[in-house]
Amino acid sequence: MTAADEAECKLLSDLVQEHFGLSFSGVRRDILASRIRPRLSALRLGSLLDYYHYLRTHPQRDGELEQLVRHLTNNETYFFREPHHFDIVVRHVVPPLMPLLKERPLRALSVGCSSGEEPYTLAVALHDAGLELRGVRWEIDACDLNPDRLARAREAAYEGAALRACSDDALRRCFDERDGRWLLRDCFRRGVRFFEANLATAASLGRPPYDVVFCRNLLIYFDDAGFDRAVRVLARTLPPGGYLLLGHSESLIDRTDEFTPVWLDGAMVYRKREAA
Amino acid sequence: MMPSATQRLAALDAATGPDRESAILAALEDDAPTVRERAVRLAARYVEPEVLGALVADGVNAARRNGALSALERQGPYAVPHLMKLLGSGDSAVVMFALQVLARIGDPVSTGRILPLLEHPDANVAQAAVEALGRMRAVDAVPALLDLLDRSVWLQLAAVNALGEIGDPRATGPLLALVPDTLVAEPAVRALQRITAPESLGPLLDLLVRVRQRPLRDAVLEASGVVLELHPDAAALGRAFGHALDPAGRADLTGFLATALAGESASEVPSEAPAQAAAGIALVAELSELYVPVLRRIAPGTHWAEPLWRSRATVTGEQVAELLGHADALVRRGLLLAGAFGPAALPSLLARLDDPDAEVRAAACRAIGALGDARAAGVLIERLRTSEGEERDEAAAALGRFPPDALAGLGSCLDPRAGDAVAIAALETVRLAQAQAFEPEVLALSRAQATDVRLAALRAAAALPGSRTGMVLFRALADREERVQIEALDLLVDREGDKTASALIGLLSAADSLRFRVIRALGRLRAAAAAPKLQSLFISAPLHERIEIVRALATIGQPGVTGFLRACLDAPERELRHVAALGLARAAGPDDLQTLLLMASDDDWTLRNQAAQGLGRLGLAEGRTTLLTLTRDVEPVVARTARQALALLAERARPAAA
Repeated sequence: MTAADEAECKLLSDLVQEHFGLSFSGVRRDILASRIRPRLSALRLGSLLDYYHYLRTHPQRDGELEQLVRHLTNNETYFFREPHHFDIVVRHVVPPLMPLLKERPLRALSVGCSSGEEPYTLAVALHDAGLELRGVRWEIDACDLNPDRLARAREAAYEGAALRACSDDALRRCFDERDGRWLLRDCFRRGVRFFEANLATAASLGRPPYDVVFCRNLLIYFDDAGFDRAVRVLARTLPPGGYLLLGHSESLIDRTDEFTPVWLDGAMVYRKREAA
Repeated sequence: MMPSATQRLAALDAATGPDRESAILAALEDDAPTVRERAVRLAARYVEPEVLGALVADGVNAARRNGALSALERQGPYAVPHLMKLLGSGDSAVVMFALQVLARIGDPVSTGRILPLLEHPDANVAQAAVEALGRMRAVDAVPALLDLLDRSVWLQLAAVNALGEIGDPRATGPLLALVPDTLVAEPAVRALQRITAPESLGPLLDLLVRVRQRPLRDAVLEASGVVLELHPDAAALGRAFGHALDPAGRADLTGFLATALAGESASEVPSEAPAQAAAGIALVAELSELYVPVLRRIAPGTHWAEPLWRSRATVTGEQVAELLGHADALVRRGLLLAGAFGPAALPSLLARLDDPDAEVRAAACRAIGALGDARAAGVLIERLRTSEGEERDEAAAALGRFPPDALAGLGSCLDPRAGDAVAIAALETVRLAQAQAFEPEVLALSRAQATDVRLAALRAAAALPGSRTGMVLFRALADREERVQIEALDLLVDREGDKTASALIGLLSAADSLRFRVIRALGRLRAAAAAPKLQSLFISAPLHERIEIVRALATIGQPGVTGFLRACLDAPERELRHVAALGLARAAGPDDLQTLLLMASDDDWTLRNQAAQGLGRLGLAEGRTTLLTLTRDVEPVVARTARQALALLAERARPAAA
């Protein structure tokens, strides 16, 4: 990348950070440039600088910003990804809440849910644990900033990579095949609700308080300030003692006083501290 | 409670006056990487090399030392004099660190000071000096580095690598002498691969037969492949090599090359290089038993195999017939895509149009097109009409290579009743062949209902000279679809001509969504006649158009434009200031030096960046001090631009000094 290309990339990465809180600094600028190329082509613009000016000043910039975010967010996800987290919910989050769960549903939030694989996997895990038979109901709210992905999540029809960690048994039990796509059965879709939200800009998310919040592989996109802000927003969604589950490469250690790290079944999870 | 990283970052940015240096130095060892990174940037800008050099000598605090090293590197040429002083330090560690930083900065001035360190009593310092010279590609160091090839293995290894990085052919013989029986044989081969001296090809091919142990043989294969690719007479040398192989040697070599072609390298990192090298050797040495695996490599995603076959393969008519009838569709397709066929091959190629595999049929269309034999036009037109997807596209492209008078039968495909997909493909043929005879059909289809047909018709019209087709393009500027308007505009700009510019200037009066693109187009056309109208429009236009006006005027470059651009630097909108600075960086003359110097101290990094670019382009010695300051800019992009600009200045100064 030449210095001139680098300067254009920096202008765009600063803009993306300003609008969405997503960080594409340093070597990640190459990723930004490659994800933006289809938009340059669609708008018949010649350079990243043209696109930057379009996003800053063109009358149709708001619509284009929406298009941009669809291209920027990594939609990489699949059913049963990092499955130990779902076991932790069943084995450690639910049991102490059982007395309460006779009166109210278990409440979970999936942040950055993309096309729904994560919240649906949680529904499958809760279902498979036989909690329904013990009178437990659940409400799983799930949000993402990409409306296209949310539409696909509501459709709940999957293929290929999304199902790569699904065993044959799970595939048969949870899905119906139709025209080469796999439709999640209604019993697993019940209680899962999707809504649009941006963790980088939202003051709060969904309908707190939640018993457990999944926010996996999303904080890696934030710079320090965005990270701190996002953690504060996540903290507001949980009651004291509530669980926050992050991706394996994400950590809150030395980053916040609002959560305590807890080692459960070989994985690090976080619990919201009691108010001082 | 300890302040968060964000708070520490803010405090660091806020530090000024005498407190700033101590705040920066303390932050060099902050726990948070982002704070350390910001401290390095600020240290490069605000801390003198002498202070940073003292931290390099601190053997206890590694965090601060690493931060200081990064900051010195960021300072670039500004730090070089002090780093050269550090080379005389009695502390070996300091000398090594200074060498590393100098190597990364890459200032050629320092090589003379580094050369004596090759004989430093501390072997680690000598090794670091070798590595630095390699990294700096110091050609002057080659004789001294060659002298190190009989020293201890570590120095030997460093020297071999450095010679490879420098790439001087004087090292070829001494490096070949290290293969195959020394500890540094494999690095020596890798170095030969980087040097690519033609005289190394023969010895490398001989080694390919003689050497049997895998890691070294893989290295020899890749090196041979690279040298062969750049060799001026590879064909003759390769043929002689192939013919000289005895049966046992040939069998062993083809077996080895076949594994490489199948992607079975011993390397842990997947790479196309071994397969590419094996294919190149197989083709120049005429190892025909490997033609099938080479042709299998001509597949989507592999870009090297097709041109390699085209430039290197020598095949007989008998072999062509055999390969075209091969059971593997990949082989048939590969040959059709890459082969060079003579007129006698037409029947075999036409036969492949009935191949059971659609991709082979598409490749056959392409091969027939390359042949350009008008007798095939009717068959291809029929193919265009009846096939679909890639096959239809290839038929259209193939017909586009035929002389226009061979395309008489295409008319029926341009009939609206033929269907949109057929019409689009036929229009593409008209465009490629510039078949003027179909102008009436093109004009008719430019009014088609389907947008994609209108777009294809516009592209075809743009390829046909004449006022009627030009009119179609102008009319399309008012099409109901914006993407048709934009396409028409781009096509008009590509056609250029005075009429285009004057018509576009006329469009500036309409304040519609297209005007922004019209302004861009006038810039691309460098339409001097548009300048007054653009300037008058500037006052009332919305911001996104004003930005385009500034860019267009800067590109058109009328006399006095720099005055306009200077005025724009005072605009309240950042984007406007930015494009004005961009224009000044490209158009500034000596009279604009003061403006560039002012831009260099602007708070906005984009202006400083353009100042660095402009000063480099201008090449005036008066800009050097400012550029030196900008090489230490807190924004790495600006520092990088400034370094490139300084290098430009040095380049211009060299012939003058000579």
